[in-house]
Amino acid sequence: MSDFAIEVEKLVKVYHPRRQPPVRAVDGLSFNVTRGAIFGLLGPNGAGKTSTLRVLNTLSRPTGGRARLLGFDVVAQPVEVRRRISVVLQETAVEQFLSVRDNLLTYARFHGLDRVLARRRAAEVMERFHLSPEAERKVMDLSGGYRRRVQVAKVFMVQTPVMFLDEFSTGMDPILKRAVMGYLRDEARQGRTIVLTTQVLSEAEELCDDILIMNKGRQVARGDLHALKLLSEGVYEVVMTFDQLPESIQAELSRLAPLRMNINQNTIELALKAEEARVLELVSELARNRRVLRVEVSGASLEDIFVELTQGK
Amino acid sequence: MAAMSAVFYREGKIRITNVTFIFWDLFYPLAYMLVFGVAVSRALGAPVSTSAVDYNSFFLAGVLGMASFGIASNTSWSFFLDRDNGIFYEMLTYPLSRAEYLLGKVLFNLLIAVLQAGITIALGTLLLGIRIRLDLLPLLFLGVVGGMAGWFFFYAIFALKIRRNDLFNSVTSVFYFVFLFASSMFYPLEPLPAWFRTAALANPITWQVDLLRYSTIGLGEPRRIAVEAAAFAVFAVVSFTYAVRCLRQQE
Repeated sequence: MSDFAIEVEKLVKVYHPRRQPPVRAVDGLSFNVTRGAIFGLLGPNGAGKTSTLRVLNTLSRPTGGRARLLGFDVVAQPVEVRRRISVVLQETAVEQFLSVRDNLLTYARFHGLDRVLARRRAAEVMERFHLSPEAERKVMDLSGGYRRRVQVAKVFMVQTPVMFLDEFSTGMDPILKRAVMGYLRDEARQGRTIVLTTQVLSEAEELCDDILIMNKGRQVARGDLHALKLLSEGVYEVVMTFDQLPESIQAELSRLAPLRMNINQNTIELALKAEEARVLELVSELARNRRVLRVEVSGASLEDIFVELTQGK
Repeated sequence: MAAMSAVFYREGKIRITNVTFIFWDLFYPLAYMLVFGVAVSRALGAPVSTSAVDYNSFFLAGVLGMASFGIASNTSWSFFLDRDNGIFYEMLTYPLSRAEYLLGKVLFNLLIAVLQAGITIALGTLLLGIRIRLDLLPLLFLGVVGGMAGWFFFYAIFALKIRRNDLFNSVTSVFYFVFLFASSMFYPLEPLPAWFRTAALANPITWQVDLLRYSTIGLGEPRRIAVEAAAFAVFAVVSFTYAVRCLRQQE
Protein backbone atom coordinates (compact mmCIF):
# COMPACT_ATOMS: atom_id res chain seq x y z
CA MET A 1 0.00 0.00 0.00
CA SER A 2 1.35 3.42 -0.97
CA ASP A 3 2.26 5.92 1.76
CA PHE A 4 0.47 8.52 -0.23
CA ALA A 5 -3.20 9.36 0.06
CA ILE A 6 -3.08 11.28 -3.19
CA GLU A 7 -0.81 10.85 -6.20
CA VAL A 8 -0.99 13.31 -9.06
CA GLU A 9 1.10 12.87 -12.19
CA LYS A 10 1.43 15.46 -14.97
CA LEU A 11 -2.16 16.57 -14.51
CA VAL A 12 -3.57 18.77 -17.25
CA LYS A 13 -6.99 20.38 -17.35
CA VAL A 14 -8.01 22.45 -20.35
CA TYR A 15 -11.39 24.17 -20.60
CA HIS A 16 -12.91 25.08 -23.93
CA PRO A 17 -15.23 28.02 -23.36
CA ARG A 18 -17.58 28.79 -26.24
CA ARG A 19 -16.23 31.28 -28.78
CA GLN A 20 -13.12 31.81 -26.66
CA PRO A 21 -9.63 30.36 -26.77
CA PRO A 22 -9.02 27.26 -24.61
CA VAL A 23 -7.95 27.87 -21.01
CA ARG A 24 -5.16 25.67 -19.64
CA ALA A 25 -6.21 25.76 -15.97
CA VAL A 26 -3.84 23.01 -14.81
CA ASP A 27 -0.64 22.52 -16.75
CA GLY A 28 1.34 19.37 -16.00
CA LEU A 29 1.02 19.42 -12.23
CA SER A 30 2.58 16.56 -10.23
CA PHE A 31 2.53 16.05 -6.49
CA ASN A 32 1.87 13.48 -3.77
CA VAL A 33 0.14 13.96 -0.45
CA THR A 34 1.19 11.84 2.53
CA ARG A 35 -1.54 10.05 4.51
CA GLY A 36 -2.63 12.03 7.54
CA ALA A 37 -1.16 15.31 6.29
CA ILE A 38 -2.87 18.67 6.09
CA PHE A 39 -2.00 19.74 2.60
CA GLY A 40 -2.52 23.31 1.42
CA LEU A 41 -2.98 24.19 -2.20
CA LEU A 42 -2.33 27.90 -2.51
CA GLY A 43 -2.28 30.32 -5.36
CA PRO A 44 -3.82 33.53 -6.63
CA ASN A 45 -7.24 33.58 -8.32
CA GLY A 46 -7.18 31.50 -11.49
CA ALA A 47 -4.05 29.58 -10.45
CA GLY A 48 -5.80 26.24 -11.00
CA LYS A 49 -6.42 25.22 -7.36
CA THR A 50 -10.14 24.59 -7.69
CA SER A 51 -9.67 22.85 -11.06
CA THR A 52 -7.15 20.51 -9.43
CA LEU A 53 -9.50 19.85 -6.55
CA ARG A 54 -12.42 19.19 -8.90
CA VAL A 55 -10.41 16.53 -10.71
CA LEU A 56 -9.42 14.94 -7.41
CA ASN A 57 -12.99 14.81 -6.16
CA THR A 58 -14.27 13.39 -9.48
CA LEU A 59 -16.30 16.43 -10.46
CA SER A 60 -14.24 16.97 -13.53
CA ARG A 61 -12.21 14.72 -15.86
CA PRO A 62 -8.59 15.61 -16.50
CA THR A 63 -7.53 16.45 -20.04
CA GLY A 64 -4.22 14.69 -19.46
CA GLY A 65 -2.14 12.99 -16.79
CA ARG A 66 -3.56 10.93 -13.98
CA ALA A 67 -4.58 11.19 -10.35
CA ARG A 68 -5.09 8.47 -7.76
CA LEU A 69 -6.69 8.67 -4.37
CA LEU A 70 -5.70 5.90 -1.94
CA GLY A 71 -4.67 3.91 -5.00
CA PHE A 72 -7.95 4.43 -6.90
CA ASP A 73 -7.86 6.19 -10.22
CA VAL A 74 -10.18 9.21 -10.26
CA VAL A 75 -11.28 8.54 -13.85
CA ALA A 76 -11.43 4.74 -13.93
CA GLN A 77 -12.79 4.19 -10.39
CA PRO A 78 -14.76 7.33 -9.51
CA VAL A 79 -17.23 5.66 -7.13
CA GLU A 80 -14.38 4.06 -5.13
CA VAL A 81 -12.82 7.51 -4.85
CA ARG A 82 -16.14 9.09 -3.79
CA ARG A 83 -16.55 6.48 -1.05
CA ARG A 84 -13.35 7.78 0.51
CA ILE A 85 -13.82 11.52 0.32
CA SER A 86 -15.92 14.27 1.81
CA VAL A 87 -15.93 17.63 0.13
CA VAL A 88 -16.62 21.24 1.07
CA LEU A 89 -17.02 23.11 -2.20
CA GLN A 90 -16.18 26.76 -2.62
CA GLU A 91 -19.83 27.63 -3.30
CA THR A 92 -22.38 27.22 -0.53
CA ALA A 93 -24.01 23.80 -0.91
CA VAL A 94 -26.91 22.99 1.39
CA GLU A 95 -30.38 21.53 1.20
CA GLN A 96 -32.32 24.79 1.58
CA PHE A 97 -35.70 23.17 2.24
CA LEU A 98 -34.44 20.82 4.94
CA SER A 99 -33.70 21.56 8.57
CA VAL A 100 -30.14 21.73 9.84
CA ARG A 101 -30.53 18.28 11.41
CA ASP A 102 -31.97 16.79 8.21
CA ASN A 103 -29.11 18.25 6.20
CA LEU A 104 -26.67 16.35 8.40
CA LEU A 105 -28.73 13.16 8.42
CA THR A 106 -29.18 13.18 4.66
CA TYR A 107 -25.46 13.61 4.15
CA ALA A 108 -24.77 10.75 6.57
CA ARG A 109 -27.24 8.55 4.73
CA PHE A 110 -25.35 9.01 1.47
CA HIS A 111 -22.19 7.89 3.22
CA GLY A 112 -23.88 4.78 4.57
CA LEU A 113 -24.07 5.66 8.29
CA ASP A 114 -26.75 3.74 10.16
CA ARG A 115 -29.63 5.76 11.52
CA VAL A 116 -28.79 5.59 15.24
CA LEU A 117 -25.15 6.50 14.75
CA ALA A 118 -26.12 9.28 12.35
CA ARG A 119 -28.51 10.84 14.86
CA ARG A 120 -25.92 10.67 17.63
CA ARG A 121 -23.22 12.14 15.47
CA ALA A 122 -25.56 14.88 14.18
CA ALA A 123 -26.18 15.96 17.79
CA GLU A 124 -22.42 16.06 18.48
CA VAL A 125 -21.59 17.95 15.30
CA MET A 126 -24.36 20.50 15.88
CA GLU A 127 -23.01 21.06 19.37
CA ARG A 128 -19.47 21.59 18.08
CA PHE A 129 -20.65 24.01 15.40
CA HIS A 130 -23.04 25.84 17.75
CA LEU A 131 -25.93 24.78 15.55
CA SER A 132 -28.04 23.01 18.20
CA PRO A 133 -30.43 25.94 18.76
CA GLU A 134 -31.09 26.00 15.01
CA ALA A 135 -31.41 22.21 14.63
CA GLU A 136 -35.03 22.19 13.48
CA ARG A 137 -34.90 25.40 11.44
CA LYS A 138 -34.95 25.14 7.68
CA VAL A 139 -31.63 26.17 6.21
CA MET A 140 -33.36 28.60 3.84
CA ASP A 141 -34.28 30.66 6.93
CA LEU A 142 -30.68 30.94 8.15
CA SER A 143 -28.08 33.59 7.32
CA GLY A 144 -25.32 32.97 4.78
CA GLY A 145 -22.78 32.41 7.55
CA TYR A 146 -24.93 29.73 9.16
CA ARG A 147 -25.50 28.02 5.83
CA ARG A 148 -21.75 27.80 5.34
CA ARG A 149 -21.46 26.44 8.86
CA VAL A 150 -23.96 23.68 8.04
CA GLN A 151 -22.03 22.87 4.87
CA VAL A 152 -18.72 22.52 6.71
CA ALA A 153 -20.35 20.65 9.60
CA LYS A 154 -21.54 17.94 7.21
CA VAL A 155 -18.05 16.64 6.50
CA PHE A 156 -17.55 16.04 10.21
CA MET A 157 -20.50 13.62 10.16
CA VAL A 158 -18.49 10.96 8.37
CA GLN A 159 -15.06 9.40 8.74
CA THR A 160 -13.89 9.37 5.13
CA PRO A 161 -10.09 9.01 4.96
CA VAL A 162 -9.71 12.14 2.81
CA MET A 163 -11.34 15.54 3.20
CA PHE A 164 -11.29 18.32 0.61
CA LEU A 165 -12.03 21.86 1.69
CA ASP A 166 -12.15 24.63 -0.88
CA GLU A 167 -11.96 28.00 0.91
CA PHE A 168 -13.72 26.50 3.92
CA SER A 169 -13.59 29.59 6.12
CA THR A 170 -15.45 31.91 3.73
CA GLY A 171 -18.25 33.59 5.68
CA MET A 172 -17.22 32.10 9.03
CA ASP A 173 -16.76 34.23 12.10
CA PRO A 174 -13.22 34.25 13.54
CA ILE A 175 -14.12 32.29 16.68
CA LEU A 176 -15.74 29.44 14.80
CA LYS A 177 -12.98 29.50 12.20
CA ARG A 178 -10.41 29.00 14.94
CA ALA A 179 -12.46 26.15 16.39
CA VAL A 180 -12.81 24.46 12.99
CA MET A 181 -9.07 24.73 12.47
CA GLY A 182 -8.68 22.90 15.76
CA TYR A 183 -11.11 20.19 14.64
CA LEU A 184 -9.21 19.78 11.39
CA ARG A 185 -5.95 19.30 13.30
CA ASP A 186 -7.68 16.65 15.46
CA GLU A 187 -8.93 14.85 12.35
CA ALA A 188 -5.44 14.85 10.84
CA ARG A 189 -4.01 13.48 14.09
CA GLN A 190 -6.48 10.62 13.78
CA GLY A 191 -5.08 9.84 10.34
CA ARG A 192 -7.43 11.68 8.00
CA THR A 193 -5.79 13.43 5.09
CA ILE A 194 -6.97 16.98 4.60
CA VAL A 195 -6.53 18.92 1.40
CA LEU A 196 -7.47 22.56 1.51
CA THR A 197 -7.28 25.63 -0.64
CA THR A 198 -7.39 29.05 0.89
CA GLN A 199 -6.75 32.67 0.08
CA VAL A 200 -6.20 33.38 3.78
CA LEU A 201 -2.54 32.61 4.05
CA SER A 202 -2.44 32.84 7.82
CA GLU A 203 -4.80 29.83 7.86
CA ALA A 204 -2.44 27.79 5.71
CA GLU A 205 0.51 28.98 7.79
CA GLU A 206 -1.18 27.78 10.95
CA LEU A 207 -2.70 24.56 9.63
CA CYS A 208 -0.70 23.00 6.84
CA ASP A 209 2.11 20.48 7.20
CA ASP A 210 2.75 20.64 3.50
CA ILE A 211 2.09 23.47 1.08
CA LEU A 212 2.06 23.67 -2.69
CA ILE A 213 1.96 27.10 -4.22
CA MET A 214 0.70 27.17 -7.77
CA ASN A 215 0.39 29.84 -10.39
CA LYS A 216 -0.99 29.63 -13.93
CA GLY A 217 -1.65 25.93 -13.48
CA ARG A 218 1.89 25.03 -12.46
CA GLN A 219 3.74 24.42 -9.23
CA VAL A 220 5.92 27.35 -8.19
CA ALA A 221 6.97 26.10 -4.76
CA ARG A 222 6.44 23.10 -2.52
CA GLY A 223 7.35 22.14 1.01
CA ASP A 224 6.54 22.74 4.64
CA LEU A 225 6.43 26.25 6.01
CA HIS A 226 10.10 26.22 7.04
CA ALA A 227 11.24 25.00 3.65
CA LEU A 228 9.17 27.67 1.94
CA LYS A 229 10.55 30.36 4.22
CA LEU A 230 14.05 29.36 3.18
CA LEU A 231 13.06 30.25 -0.39
CA SER A 232 12.62 33.75 0.83
CA GLU A 233 15.77 34.09 2.85
CA GLY A 234 16.66 37.70 3.32
CA VAL A 235 13.03 38.85 3.44
CA TYR A 236 12.04 40.50 6.71
CA GLU A 237 8.83 41.85 8.03
CA VAL A 238 8.98 45.06 10.02
CA VAL A 239 6.08 46.42 12.06
CA MET A 240 6.45 49.80 13.77
CA THR A 241 3.85 51.77 15.69
CA PHE A 242 4.50 55.47 16.30
CA ASP A 243 2.68 57.71 18.75
CA GLN A 244 2.03 59.96 15.77
CA LEU A 245 2.62 58.99 12.17
CA PRO A 246 5.39 61.18 10.73
CA GLU A 247 4.25 63.20 7.70
CA SER A 248 7.23 62.29 5.55
CA ILE A 249 7.07 58.57 6.36
CA GLN A 250 5.49 57.42 3.10
CA ALA A 251 8.24 59.00 1.00
CA GLU A 252 10.91 57.62 3.32
CA LEU A 253 9.47 54.12 3.11
CA SER A 254 9.10 54.21 -0.67
CA ARG A 255 12.82 54.92 -0.96
CA LEU A 256 13.48 51.59 0.78
CA ALA A 257 11.73 49.77 -2.12
CA PRO A 258 9.73 47.43 0.13
CA LEU A 259 8.22 44.23 -1.28
CA ARG A 260 5.04 45.14 0.49
CA MET A 261 3.97 48.20 2.45
CA ASN A 262 0.90 48.85 4.50
CA ILE A 263 0.11 51.91 6.62
CA ASN A 264 -2.76 51.64 9.04
CA GLN A 265 -3.34 54.62 11.34
CA ASN A 266 -0.08 54.93 13.29
CA THR A 267 1.31 51.55 12.32
CA ILE A 268 3.48 50.70 9.34
CA GLU A 269 4.05 47.17 8.05
CA LEU A 270 6.88 46.53 5.62
CA ALA A 271 8.34 43.52 3.89
CA LEU A 272 11.96 44.18 2.97
CA LYS A 273 14.54 42.13 1.13
CA ALA A 274 17.93 43.02 2.65
CA GLU A 275 20.71 41.80 4.93
CA GLU A 276 19.64 41.48 8.54
CA ALA A 277 22.10 44.18 9.68
CA ARG A 278 20.81 46.55 7.02
CA VAL A 279 17.19 45.96 8.12
CA LEU A 280 18.08 46.81 11.73
CA GLU A 281 19.91 49.92 10.53
CA LEU A 282 16.81 51.02 8.59
CA VAL A 283 14.61 50.49 11.63
CA SER A 284 16.92 52.71 13.74
CA GLU A 285 16.83 55.36 11.01
CA LEU A 286 13.04 55.34 10.96
CA ALA A 287 12.91 55.54 14.76
CA ARG A 288 15.40 58.42 15.04
CA ASN A 289 13.89 61.51 16.67
CA ARG A 290 10.45 59.86 16.78
CA ARG A 291 8.49 58.24 19.56
CA VAL A 292 8.06 54.57 18.71
CA LEU A 293 5.53 52.56 20.72
CA ARG A 294 6.28 49.16 19.23
CA VAL A 295 8.84 47.54 16.93
CA GLU A 296 8.74 44.01 15.56
CA VAL A 297 11.22 42.51 13.13
CA SER A 298 10.56 38.97 11.96
CA GLY A 299 11.29 36.59 9.10
CA ALA A 300 9.12 36.54 6.01
CA SER A 301 5.50 35.44 6.37
CA LEU A 302 3.86 32.98 4.03
CA GLU A 303 2.13 35.97 2.47
CA ASP A 304 5.48 37.55 1.54
CA ILE A 305 6.69 34.29 0.05
CA PHE A 306 3.41 33.88 -1.81
CA VAL A 307 3.57 37.38 -3.27
CA GLU A 308 7.20 36.99 -4.23
CA LEU A 309 6.66 33.64 -5.91
CA THR A 310 3.41 34.33 -7.69
CA GLN A 311 4.22 37.86 -8.81
CA GLY A 312 7.80 37.08 -9.74
CA LYS A 313 9.31 39.66 -7.42
CA MET B 1 -28.92 -0.05 -4.01
CA ALA B 2 -27.94 1.77 -0.81
CA ALA B 3 -26.91 4.78 -2.87
CA MET B 4 -30.24 4.84 -4.71
CA SER B 5 -32.14 4.52 -1.45
CA ALA B 6 -30.19 7.53 -0.14
CA VAL B 7 -31.28 9.59 -3.15
CA PHE B 8 -34.85 8.31 -2.66
CA TYR B 9 -34.68 9.35 1.02
CA ARG B 10 -33.38 12.78 0.07
CA GLU B 11 -36.02 13.37 -2.61
CA GLY B 12 -38.71 12.19 -0.22
CA LYS B 13 -37.48 14.47 2.58
CA ILE B 14 -37.53 17.47 0.29
CA ARG B 15 -40.90 16.73 -1.28
CA ILE B 16 -42.54 16.08 2.10
CA THR B 17 -41.70 19.67 3.10
CA ASN B 18 -44.19 20.82 0.44
CA VAL B 19 -47.46 19.04 1.19
CA THR B 20 -49.44 21.24 -1.21
CA PHE B 21 -47.24 20.12 -4.05
CA ILE B 22 -47.64 16.45 -3.17
CA PHE B 23 -51.40 16.86 -2.80
CA TRP B 24 -51.62 18.52 -6.21
CA ASP B 25 -49.36 15.85 -7.75
CA LEU B 26 -51.63 13.13 -6.40
CA PHE B 27 -54.98 14.66 -7.28
CA TYR B 28 -54.49 16.81 -10.35
CA PRO B 29 -55.12 14.04 -12.91
CA LEU B 30 -58.40 13.33 -11.19
CA ALA B 31 -59.25 17.03 -11.08
CA TYR B 32 -58.37 17.31 -14.77
CA MET B 33 -60.62 14.37 -15.56
CA LEU B 34 -63.49 15.68 -13.48
CA VAL B 35 -63.37 19.12 -15.09
CA PHE B 36 -62.03 18.76 -18.62
CA GLY B 37 -63.09 15.14 -19.12
CA VAL B 38 -66.64 15.58 -17.90
CA ALA B 39 -67.08 18.84 -19.82
CA VAL B 40 -65.89 17.38 -23.12
CA SER B 41 -67.85 14.20 -22.52
CA ARG B 42 -71.06 16.21 -22.04
CA ALA B 43 -70.29 18.50 -24.96
CA LEU B 44 -69.73 15.59 -27.32
CA GLY B 45 -72.62 13.65 -25.86
CA ALA B 46 -71.80 10.55 -27.86
CA PRO B 47 -69.25 7.74 -27.93
CA VAL B 48 -65.80 8.85 -29.06
CA SER B 49 -65.39 8.49 -32.80
CA THR B 50 -64.93 4.94 -34.05
CA SER B 51 -64.59 3.48 -30.57
CA ALA B 52 -67.68 2.61 -28.63
CA VAL B 53 -66.50 4.16 -25.37
CA ASP B 54 -67.51 7.39 -23.69
CA TYR B 55 -65.04 10.24 -23.47
CA ASN B 56 -64.33 9.81 -19.74
CA SER B 57 -63.22 6.22 -20.30
CA PHE B 58 -61.21 7.24 -23.35
CA PHE B 59 -59.59 10.18 -21.57
CA LEU B 60 -58.52 8.22 -18.46
CA ALA B 61 -55.39 6.90 -20.22
CA GLY B 62 -54.69 10.38 -21.59
CA VAL B 63 -54.84 11.94 -18.17
CA LEU B 64 -52.54 9.27 -16.72
CA GLY B 65 -50.06 9.87 -19.55
CA MET B 66 -50.27 13.61 -19.00
CA ALA B 67 -49.62 13.11 -15.29
CA SER B 68 -46.48 11.03 -16.00
CA PHE B 69 -45.32 13.75 -18.33
CA GLY B 70 -46.01 16.46 -15.73
CA ILE B 71 -44.20 14.69 -12.87
CA ALA B 72 -41.23 14.01 -15.13
CA SER B 73 -41.00 17.66 -16.10
CA ASN B 74 -41.25 18.84 -12.46
CA THR B 75 -38.64 16.33 -11.33
CA SER B 76 -36.17 17.40 -14.00
CA TRP B 77 -36.72 21.04 -13.07
CA SER B 78 -35.34 20.18 -9.63
CA PHE B 79 -31.87 20.00 -11.23
CA PHE B 80 -32.07 23.79 -11.52
CA LEU B 81 -33.12 24.11 -7.91
CA ASP B 82 -30.22 21.91 -6.84
CA ARG B 83 -27.83 23.96 -8.95
CA ASP B 84 -29.09 27.19 -7.36
CA ASN B 85 -28.60 25.70 -3.90
CA GLY B 86 -25.11 24.56 -4.83
CA ILE B 87 -25.99 21.05 -3.69
CA PHE B 88 -26.00 19.64 -7.23
CA TYR B 89 -22.21 19.58 -7.55
CA GLU B 90 -21.72 18.45 -3.96
CA MET B 91 -24.02 15.51 -4.63
CA LEU B 92 -21.87 14.54 -7.57
CA THR B 93 -19.04 13.93 -5.07
CA TYR B 94 -21.20 11.57 -2.97
CA PRO B 95 -20.48 7.83 -3.17
CA LEU B 96 -22.78 6.90 -6.03
CA SER B 97 -22.52 6.51 -9.76
CA ARG B 98 -24.19 8.95 -12.14
CA ALA B 99 -26.67 6.22 -13.17
CA GLU B 100 -27.60 5.56 -9.52
CA TYR B 101 -28.10 9.28 -9.02
CA LEU B 102 -30.58 9.47 -11.90
CA LEU B 103 -32.39 6.27 -10.93
CA GLY B 104 -32.59 7.32 -7.28
CA LYS B 105 -33.99 10.68 -8.30
CA VAL B 106 -36.76 9.05 -10.29
CA LEU B 107 -37.66 6.46 -7.59
CA PHE B 108 -39.60 8.74 -5.24
CA ASN B 109 -41.49 10.18 -8.17
CA LEU B 110 -42.37 6.71 -9.39
CA LEU B 111 -44.00 6.14 -6.04
CA ILE B 112 -45.98 9.36 -6.47
CA ALA B 113 -46.94 8.31 -10.03
CA VAL B 114 -48.20 4.92 -8.81
CA LEU B 115 -50.24 6.49 -6.00
CA GLN B 116 -51.57 9.11 -8.37
CA ALA B 117 -52.62 6.46 -10.90
CA GLY B 118 -54.25 4.39 -8.14
CA ILE B 119 -56.27 7.36 -6.88
CA THR B 120 -57.29 8.46 -10.37
CA ILE B 121 -58.39 4.98 -11.39
CA ALA B 122 -60.24 4.26 -8.16
CA LEU B 123 -62.10 7.56 -8.06
CA GLY B 124 -62.64 7.55 -11.84
CA THR B 125 -64.35 4.20 -11.48
CA LEU B 126 -66.44 5.31 -8.52
CA LEU B 127 -67.38 8.80 -9.66
CA LEU B 128 -67.53 8.44 -13.44
CA GLY B 129 -68.45 4.79 -13.77
CA ILE B 130 -65.41 3.93 -15.89
CA ARG B 131 -65.06 0.17 -16.33
CA ILE B 132 -61.46 -0.82 -15.76
CA ARG B 133 -59.89 -4.05 -17.05
CA LEU B 134 -58.70 -5.35 -13.67
CA ASP B 135 -56.83 -8.22 -15.32
CA LEU B 136 -54.61 -5.65 -17.07
CA LEU B 137 -53.83 -3.56 -13.95
CA PRO B 138 -50.20 -4.79 -13.69
CA LEU B 139 -49.65 -3.69 -17.28
CA LEU B 140 -51.27 -0.37 -16.49
CA PHE B 141 -48.90 0.30 -13.58
CA LEU B 142 -45.96 -0.79 -15.72
CA GLY B 143 -47.08 1.77 -18.30
CA VAL B 144 -47.34 4.49 -15.66
CA VAL B 145 -43.96 3.70 -14.06
CA GLY B 146 -42.10 3.12 -17.33
CA GLY B 147 -43.69 6.18 -18.87
CA MET B 148 -42.80 8.47 -16.00
CA ALA B 149 -39.20 7.20 -15.89
CA GLY B 150 -38.80 7.49 -19.67
CA TRP B 151 -40.06 11.05 -19.74
CA PHE B 152 -37.91 12.01 -16.76
CA PHE B 153 -34.76 10.72 -18.48
CA PHE B 154 -35.77 12.57 -21.62
CA TYR B 155 -36.34 15.83 -19.74
CA ALA B 156 -33.17 15.33 -17.69
CA ILE B 157 -31.10 15.58 -20.89
CA PHE B 158 -32.40 19.10 -21.47
CA ALA B 159 -32.24 20.09 -17.79
CA LEU B 160 -28.57 19.04 -17.70
CA LYS B 161 -27.64 20.55 -21.07
CA ILE B 162 -29.42 23.86 -20.57
CA ARG B 163 -27.95 26.12 -17.88
CA ARG B 164 -30.69 28.78 -17.77
CA ASN B 165 -33.97 27.86 -16.13
CA ASP B 166 -35.92 30.43 -18.18
CA LEU B 167 -34.74 28.72 -21.36
CA PHE B 168 -35.63 25.34 -19.89
CA ASN B 169 -39.12 26.65 -19.08
CA SER B 170 -39.53 27.70 -22.72
CA VAL B 171 -38.41 24.26 -23.87
CA THR B 172 -40.89 22.51 -21.57
CA SER B 173 -43.70 24.76 -22.82
CA VAL B 174 -42.92 23.76 -26.40
CA PHE B 175 -42.72 20.11 -25.36
CA TYR B 176 -46.09 20.32 -23.62
CA PHE B 177 -47.67 21.78 -26.70
CA VAL B 178 -46.07 19.46 -29.25
CA PHE B 179 -46.07 16.18 -27.33
CA LEU B 180 -49.48 16.45 -25.70
CA PHE B 181 -51.51 17.81 -28.60
CA ALA B 182 -49.84 15.87 -31.43
CA SER B 183 -50.77 12.58 -29.80
CA SER B 184 -53.68 10.30 -29.00
CA MET B 185 -53.96 11.82 -25.53
CA PHE B 186 -57.08 13.94 -26.01
CA TYR B 187 -58.65 12.50 -29.15
CA PRO B 188 -58.64 9.36 -31.26
CA LEU B 189 -56.31 9.57 -34.26
CA GLU B 190 -58.57 7.94 -36.86
CA PRO B 191 -60.55 11.05 -37.95
CA LEU B 192 -57.46 13.29 -38.06
CA PRO B 193 -55.64 14.39 -41.26
CA ALA B 194 -52.91 12.00 -42.47
CA TRP B 195 -50.01 14.35 -41.65
CA PHE B 196 -51.34 14.81 -38.11
CA ARG B 197 -51.79 11.08 -37.68
CA THR B 198 -48.25 10.42 -38.89
CA ALA B 199 -46.84 12.99 -36.46
CA ALA B 200 -48.87 11.53 -33.61
CA LEU B 201 -47.78 7.99 -34.38
CA ALA B 202 -44.13 9.08 -34.21
CA ASN B 203 -44.73 10.66 -30.80
CA PRO B 204 -43.61 8.59 -27.77
CA ILE B 205 -46.53 9.90 -25.73
CA THR B 206 -48.91 8.24 -28.19
CA TRP B 207 -47.02 4.97 -27.61
CA GLN B 208 -47.40 5.35 -23.85
CA VAL B 209 -51.03 6.54 -23.92
CA ASP B 210 -52.04 3.73 -26.30
CA LEU B 211 -50.56 1.19 -23.89
CA LEU B 212 -52.35 2.86 -20.97
CA ARG B 213 -55.62 2.95 -22.91
CA TYR B 214 -55.35 -0.72 -23.73
CA SER B 215 -54.55 -1.60 -20.12
CA THR B 216 -57.34 0.57 -18.65
CA ILE B 217 -60.28 -0.14 -20.94
CA GLY B 218 -58.92 -2.74 -23.37
CA LEU B 219 -59.08 -0.37 -26.36
CA GLY B 220 -56.53 -1.04 -29.13
CA GLU B 221 -55.02 -3.88 -31.08
CA PRO B 222 -52.64 -5.95 -28.89
CA ARG B 223 -49.97 -6.40 -31.60
CA ARG B 224 -49.75 -2.68 -32.31
CA ILE B 225 -49.71 -1.91 -28.58
CA ALA B 226 -46.80 -4.34 -28.13
CA VAL B 227 -44.81 -2.62 -30.89
CA GLU B 228 -45.53 0.80 -29.38
CA ALA B 229 -44.55 -0.41 -25.89
CA ALA B 230 -41.26 -1.78 -27.26
CA ALA B 231 -40.63 1.52 -29.06
CA PHE B 232 -41.24 3.42 -25.82
CA ALA B 233 -38.83 1.11 -23.95
CA VAL B 234 -36.14 1.89 -26.54
CA PHE B 235 -36.92 5.61 -26.19
CA ALA B 236 -36.56 5.35 -22.38
CA VAL B 237 -33.28 3.38 -22.53
CA VAL B 238 -31.73 5.75 -25.08
CA SER B 239 -32.85 8.77 -23.02
CA PHE B 240 -31.42 7.23 -19.84
CA THR B 241 -28.08 6.46 -21.50
CA TYR B 242 -27.78 9.95 -22.90
CA ALA B 243 -28.87 11.57 -19.62
CA VAL B 244 -26.16 9.63 -17.74
CA ARG B 245 -23.66 10.86 -20.31
CA CYS B 246 -24.83 14.46 -19.81
CA LEU B 247 -24.46 14.03 -16.06
CA ARG B 248 -20.90 12.77 -16.52
CA GLN B 249 -20.13 15.88 -18.53
CA GLN B 250 -21.23 18.28 -15.79
CA GLU B 251 -18.20 20.35 -14.77
